[in-house]
Amino acid sequence: MATQTATTPQSDQTVEKKIERLRQLYADAPEVGRAALETLIGAMKAAGTHSGQNASQNVSQNETSAGRAGLRQGKVSELTTILKLVPGGAERIRAVLEAGRNLRIADKVGTLHDMRYVLLDNDTFLFATTYDGDWDPYIDDFATIIPDDLDVVFSNCEGWPGVRNPAVKDFIVKHQVPASGWYVGNPNVTVRDTRKLEKIGAAVEEFLEKIG
Amino acid sequence: MTTQTVTRPESDQTLEKKIQRLREVYATGPEVGKTALEKVLGELTSFASSTRARVESAGRTGVRQGKVSELLFITPFAPGGAERLRALLQLRDGSFDDTDRVGTVHDMRFVFLDNDTKLLFATAYDGEWDPYIDDFATKITDQMDVIFTACEGWPGIRSPKVKDWIANHQIPAEGWYVAHPDLTVRDIHRLKRIGKAVDEFLDQVAG
Repeated sequence: MATQTATTPQSDQTVEKKIERLRQLYADAPEVGRAALETLIGAMKAAGTHSGQNASQNVSQNETSAGRAGLRQGKVSELTTILKLVPGGAERIRAVLEAGRNLRIADKVGTLHDMRYVLLDNDTFLFATTYDGDWDPYIDDFATIIPDDLDVVFSNCEGWPGVRNPAVKDFIVKHQVPASGWYVGNPNVTVRDTRKLEKIGAAVEEFLEKIG
Repeated sequence: MTTQTVTRPESDQTLEKKIQRLREVYATGPEVGKTALEKVLGELTSFASSTRARVESAGRTGVRQGKVSELLFITPFAPGGAERLRALLQLRDGSFDDTDRVGTVHDMRFVFLDNDTKLLFATAYDGEWDPYIDDFATKITDQMDVIFTACEGWPGIRSPKVKDWIANHQIPAEGWYVAHPDLTVRDIHRLKRIGKAVDEFLDQVAG
């Protein structure tokens, strides 16, 4: 994918319109929100002359698509799925975690920043993850590197076709809920970049100790 | 029966029992899971002894791995709240320099559920629950209110009730994985600077 050039994504006029629309919407909001919005708009206007510059500098910070579904910021994407559990599903997922099949196995995939399993009302499974790059290769990585771990967990969800089934990607997309807002603290650093940086950091410390 | 050593965190017997229980609960489940379980069980023992994997409490609620914690809550939208939040997020277009200022947030997502009737908010952050909320409340007070007034019953970030409100809606994760559990957001910033300095240094040496 081509790198975006440093053009301002939206004219100031559009921003003005969006602010106007926000004000209209917040007119019915609780007082605490309405007051806070005015404070923020004031701050935005005060910094107004810099906004274009900031936008071009931080162009990589803007949300883009993660491919098939989900948002991405820089190199880092989000995936959230919500799935109905089959009877006994919650109990089985808990038993897997209790038996020590912890999520460290995801180290093998090498592109996951974080991942959580959340059980809602004992009948729904919420899976949310932060990963590097595009949707398709990410799912492929999971399916080829740790297929059985995926099946052990996701077979507890209604309709899971099995990770080796060609229908699995459609199944995931169908249950994915793309985020409407997405923030990443270090958007241009992948999991592998971080590992490399960690090694460089350690080497530099050793180097400084030697010459010191 | 195997002899237990002093250092072993769990006896083989306990692990055996847990595996036994796992087989039992999977016996009634879908076939694809049962088959996969048997394959996975082969590796189970080696993973069970990994101390790095320990998930701890993040303080008041939520779990933590190493230095990185998770917080997730689901709450109904106030009337018109979904529309307001969507307009706000569209205006922001992924720009959260205010959150950069807090400096302890790895990632954060806003997900609209059930035809815009509920908000799912999920984040990965550094350290403990209480100081994390305090940081947000003191550093980006108004930003918090503009966002979360979208939620039913949001008391306002300056309200003494705000922590109870968050904790009441939070759903702690059952499982939590972090690739680099020992690195905070600031650690990674620092490493990035070191990496850049090393590159420059090497360029100079070569040039």
